[in-house]
Amino acid sequence: MSTLEQKPARAEGRKDPWSQMLEKVGKNQDRQAYHALFEHFGPQIKYYAMANGLASHAEELVQEVFVSIWRRSCLYDWRKAAASTWIFTIARNQRIDMLRKMKRTSAEMQVETEDLWQIPGDNEDEPVTSLHRLMSERRIRESLSHLPEEQITVIAKVYMENKSHQMVADELDIPLGTVKSRVRLALNKLKVILQDQNV
Amino acid sequence: MTRHHPDSLTLMEYSAGNLTEPHALCIRLHLDQCPHCCSRVDTLDSLGAVMMEHQPKADVSESMFDRILSRIDSDVEKNDVVRRDVHRMSPLQKLLGEDLDSLPWKRQLGDVSVLDISERFPGQSEQVVLQKLAAGGKAPAHTHRGEETTIVLQGAFADQKGVFNQWDFVVLNDQDEHKPVAVGCEDCITLSVLSAPVKLTGTFTRMLNPFIR
Repeated sequence: MSTLEQKPARAEGRKDPWSQMLEKVGKNQDRQAYHALFEHFGPQIKYYAMANGLASHAEELVQEVFVSIWRRSCLYDWRKAAASTWIFTIARNQRIDMLRKMKRTSAEMQVETEDLWQIPGDNEDEPVTSLHRLMSERRIRESLSHLPEEQITVIAKVYMENKSHQMVADELDIPLGTVKSRVRLALNKLKVILQDQNV
Repeated sequence: MTRHHPDSLTLMEYSAGNLTEPHALCIRLHLDQCPHCCSRVDTLDSLGAVMMEHQPKADVSESMFDRILSRIDSDVEKNDVVRRDVHRMSPLQKLLGEDLDSLPWKRQLGDVSVLDISERFPGQSEQVVLQKLAAGGKAPAHTHRGEETTIVLQGAFADQKGVFNQWDFVVLNDQDEHKPVAVGCEDCITLSVLSAPVKLTGTFTRMLNPFIR
């Protein structure tokens, strides 16, 4: 691990093929790369919509996400986020946006979804990334494979089914404290909690 | 430099997109001023991406891709390309304008003024309240029924738990009785999201509780 972390950020970032594809879309409007992204991420996003209760709008969400990916790809900066992270945040925001628009008129929405939930790289003032950010996806993928299934289940419900910790506790019929401690243990392994202690 | 941060579990609910708009606003305002928490959210966003990859996939059709292409082709005609907003207004400015002092504050007893902005968040069940404690002023002792999430927008306040400066983030519940004092030479303005009304514990209870109608 330590030898990996000493590699320069650029070399590490360049290894991710999806980020390279997304850059091609942003720079050259490359439709072949765009299609490859659709084939890889489209099925993930459609499942995401189905898992979180937007089943009847699943295809609509996939379309909205991909139109948004096309429009925003010129802003994509691989140094600020891996393509998969960037695309996850777009999918999340489009889901939130869709739910907000179902509930009210746009005149009622004084604050846009993206004022509340930012896409990495949208803010120019944001410093160009540390190595830490680029490493995080790879590190998470590795750490996740060592987590007990019960922790992964809880995290999956939070991210994919968009359930609050309380709702997860109710569904699994376990105390809220147990849900929270499973999340904490997992975040500890993923080094998010460790970052708490460095405050 | 902020010293009081949201905990990881709250940041995870934010990253997953599960927080209500007022709660997300509190987190967003903190993140805008806290590179440390931004980096935690980056990690959590990556966790979201890895979870999405970890899940089953649902088939998408080529015809869907064709529909997407025709959407983006009509964009090209309209020249509808996203550009980075150079002068991006903060969500706080969008909601409240430039000058917090000129808002229609309602003076409560003593040093406390409040402004209920819940109606700016249609469809939300929480109460969203701005509170102003005059410089050097004291608020009466109170506890919190349910949970109250607060972010300091201006100035600073202190209670037995410490000093809370601009952009500090704090969550209080029914276990926390406190008696905040505005410190420094500025009025202290906070934004609070209340899951249930505050309960006063002092003798003034009925008359000045700004949150019980």
